Amino acid sequence: MTSLLEVEGVVKHFGGLYALGGLDLYVNEGEIVSVIGPNGAGKSTLFNVTTGLYPPDEGDIRFQGTSLVGLRPNQITKLGIARTFQNVHLFPNMTVLENAMVGQHCRTRSGVFGAILQLPSTRREEQRIRERAKQALGFFGPRLTGYRQDQPAFVLSYANRRRLEMARALATDPKVILLDEPTAGMNPRETLELRDHIVRMRDDLGLTVLVIEHDMRVVKGVSDRVIACDYGRKIAEGTYDEVANDAQVIEAYLGTKAAG
Amino acid sequence: MGAPIRRGLKAGVIGGLVLVYLAMVGMIAKFDELVLIGTQLTLGLVLLALPPLVAALAAARPRVVGGRIERLGPLEGLAAGVAAGAVSGGVIAAWLVVVDAIGFDRVRSVFVAVSPVLVDVLTFGRGIAAGAVILIVGGAAFGALGGVWRSIRFGLRRPVAIGVGVVLLMAMLQRIVPTILDELNIERDWLYSKVTRGLTWLGAAIVFVVATALAALWLDRRERAAAAPTVEGGRPDTRAIARSIGVVAIVAAAIVLPQLAGSIVSEILGTVGVYVLLALGLNIVTGYAGMLHLGFSAFFLIGAYASALLTGANLVTAFGLVAPRFSAELNFYVSLLIVIVIGAIVGALLAAPVLRLRGDYLAIVTLAFAQIAVILATSNWLQPITGGPQGLRDVTDAPLFGISFQNPRNFYYLVLFFCVIAVYVSWRLAWSRTGRAWNAMREDEQVADAMGVNTSRYKLLGFAIGGAIGAVGGALFSVKVGTVQPGSFEILVSITVLAVVILGGLGSVPGVVVGALVLLGLPGLLSQLEEYRLLIYGGALVAIMILRPQGLIPNVRRSRELQEEERTQDAWQEIFAQKEQAAAEQADAATAAATVEESS
Repeated sequence: MTSLLEVEGVVKHFGGLYALGGLDLYVNEGEIVSVIGPNGAGKSTLFNVTTGLYPPDEGDIRFQGTSLVGLRPNQITKLGIARTFQNVHLFPNMTVLENAMVGQHCRTRSGVFGAILQLPSTRREEQRIRERAKQALGFFGPRLTGYRQDQPAFVLSYANRRRLEMARALATDPKVILLDEPTAGMNPRETLELRDHIVRMRDDLGLTVLVIEHDMRVVKGVSDRVIACDYGRKIAEGTYDEVANDAQVIEAYLGTKAAG
Repeated sequence: MGAPIRRGLKAGVIGGLVLVYLAMVGMIAKFDELVLIGTQLTLGLVLLALPPLVAALAAARPRVVGGRIERLGPLEGLAAGVAAGAVSGGVIAAWLVVVDAIGFDRVRSVFVAVSPVLVDVLTFGRGIAAGAVILIVGGAAFGALGGVWRSIRFGLRRPVAIGVGVVLLMAMLQRIVPTILDELNIERDWLYSKVTRGLTWLGAAIVFVVATALAALWLDRRERAAAAPTVEGGRPDTRAIARSIGVVAIVAAAIVLPQLAGSIVSEILGTVGVYVLLALGLNIVTGYAGMLHLGFSAFFLIGAYASALLTGANLVTAFGLVAPRFSAELNFYVSLLIVIVIGAIVGALLAAPVLRLRGDYLAIVTLAFAQIAVILATSNWLQPITGGPQGLRDVTDAPLFGISFQNPRNFYYLVLFFCVIAVYVSWRLAWSRTGRAWNAMREDEQVADAMGVNTSRYKLLGFAIGGAIGAVGGALFSVKVGTVQPGSFEILVSITVLAVVILGGLGSVPGVVVGALVLLGLPGLLSQLEEYRLLIYGGALVAIMILRPQGLIPNVRRSRELQEEERTQDAWQEIFAQKEQAAAEQADAATAAATVEESS
């Protein structure tokens, strides 16, 4: 059986720095996979290479059997891979609803003439985009709905910005969602709430989730499988307990002495 | 008291140097020809009073010192303002004395603008010594006004400022308003003098009172509306009705205006209309999609030449007028469709090689593009088609049902029609899937790409639609003037169009229209401004960047954002005030309790 997303021997270096040094991993459909590792382990680079922000120097990335190498980010999104960013990247001056509506862009097709002539098909589609965007915002309960929908995104609280970014990713109707440190900067209660949301993304929405996370309670709570990286390579893989007790992982996090 | 006065002195020196500059380029003397109110108050005098006033305002403005906002009290403000104003007046007075010592004729042989008229204006016709005193005292008076201005209650000073602005605007519109009143058979001698053409003092006073009262009422209503909790349902409806009434009124005014105001006004509005079209095109490229385009005149040129060649024109050669090598004799409206397609294709062709460029780099390439277009049109190589430097003449009219559009009034209606279409297109696109994609791209190109927006496609689309609208502007221009010359499409056109868009508000359709009216309409109406058009553009742009960077009529999105910020700030201030009050009460209670305890 082929996996939904396969990363095979991917190398990416910036000048002399090897961010990814021949990384292999796979994600099966319906899994929640966590990627952990110390800072600079190449986790975000993995996401950036997967979503086409920059091309890998070597290796191949396949999604449902098709190679993603050489595709533009928007083409990859259209294939069904959505993502969030480590530092939240919203469209700050657009409203919350408009942010989510941009997510539906790649699933819709009306163009300039439809908009100018206000063709019935365009109006119906616009209505559909709106509904779908509201639905995506509704995933987080009342936090992004109601009066907040018409607020510009920059007035949102930090946690809500993170949620909006996820809602925007959900609005692209993805098969896989890549979450880059979704709980960073959230307080403990928000973190717990988000843990449930990640599980619900799989259970309720049928998504496959690949998540970079530093909070081990979240990693433990959501992961079917955990992949630990260091220096752009996979150093351990397995269930949370297996990885957490792996000598190499402990060494990567705490240094040689602790492991010894 | 020392610090405010020092600030005032500093600002005053700058204000004075500005005055000297304005005097030496001849602006003050030239503007003195335009009588605004009564027989004495000219635009030159207003210009003379402005630097001391602005310097005082700047000297007395609140500033952030060590994380706290420091506001000057009325007395300190007065001191700073008087210092600023007196120094401004002092600098120009000193300049006057120095020039007098050197000898006016000698100075004039270098600086031609230092004319007897200028001296007369600066000395108020009373000799150097008296003039210098008047300049200093007058400067101090306006400085005092500027210094205490911020100490006046907002609810009072804002309507007064609006009132003064309206009076000045009415006075500057002295070539339109009286004509309209005459046409409507309304007695107007109480308002506009027949001798000086300016407002009478009585008229000015009435206009001021009415405008101030209306402004005060409007501000009061707005404040209450903002304070009152938003009622769901009811208000948006009345707002929508009010807005549609406003739109109908504006369109009606646009249709009726040239009938009443005469052919000069039609002529000016025709030019304004052409620039509105150009600016709407640029607004899509720069305002919506966020790509800085410094060569928009290229589309103007392409539209004009293409339209001229498609409808039929003549070349000037040594053997007289001949037809160009390639030309067709199409109907204007048929050719316009082709021109639109050409504009779109050229726009997309320009965008194709620069897809990867952003910001400054893109701006440079577009700038070069405009230069290339002018050079090609002027070149010997294309001379048999474009006519080289002489260009094309006898561009065919655009008749419709036997109506010629080469007279100003009819042309105005033609351009108005296309402006309305372009406004409609801009507005529809802004709130469509396409507009959203452009907006996302403007906010963050990389993220827009990652969210599924094909950025290359939307860049091409932006350039193509902008180019098409710009080319329509060019086609209409060729009908208006009847000749097409490379000189009409210099870089200055691009800069003017960009200035219109920025002054009006990037991405704002009404802003573009107002920007074109201000930057092209006013100088057109007042021949005195015409000469200093570029200086005024520069000043206006600098002022707008400092005072209102979002433009005169900002894009809905941006204004929403500012309102929101204001409200959140107000809310915070209230919370802080409440907290402070609570803390004070608590402290009071504690001291009271302590006193009670002590006494018992």
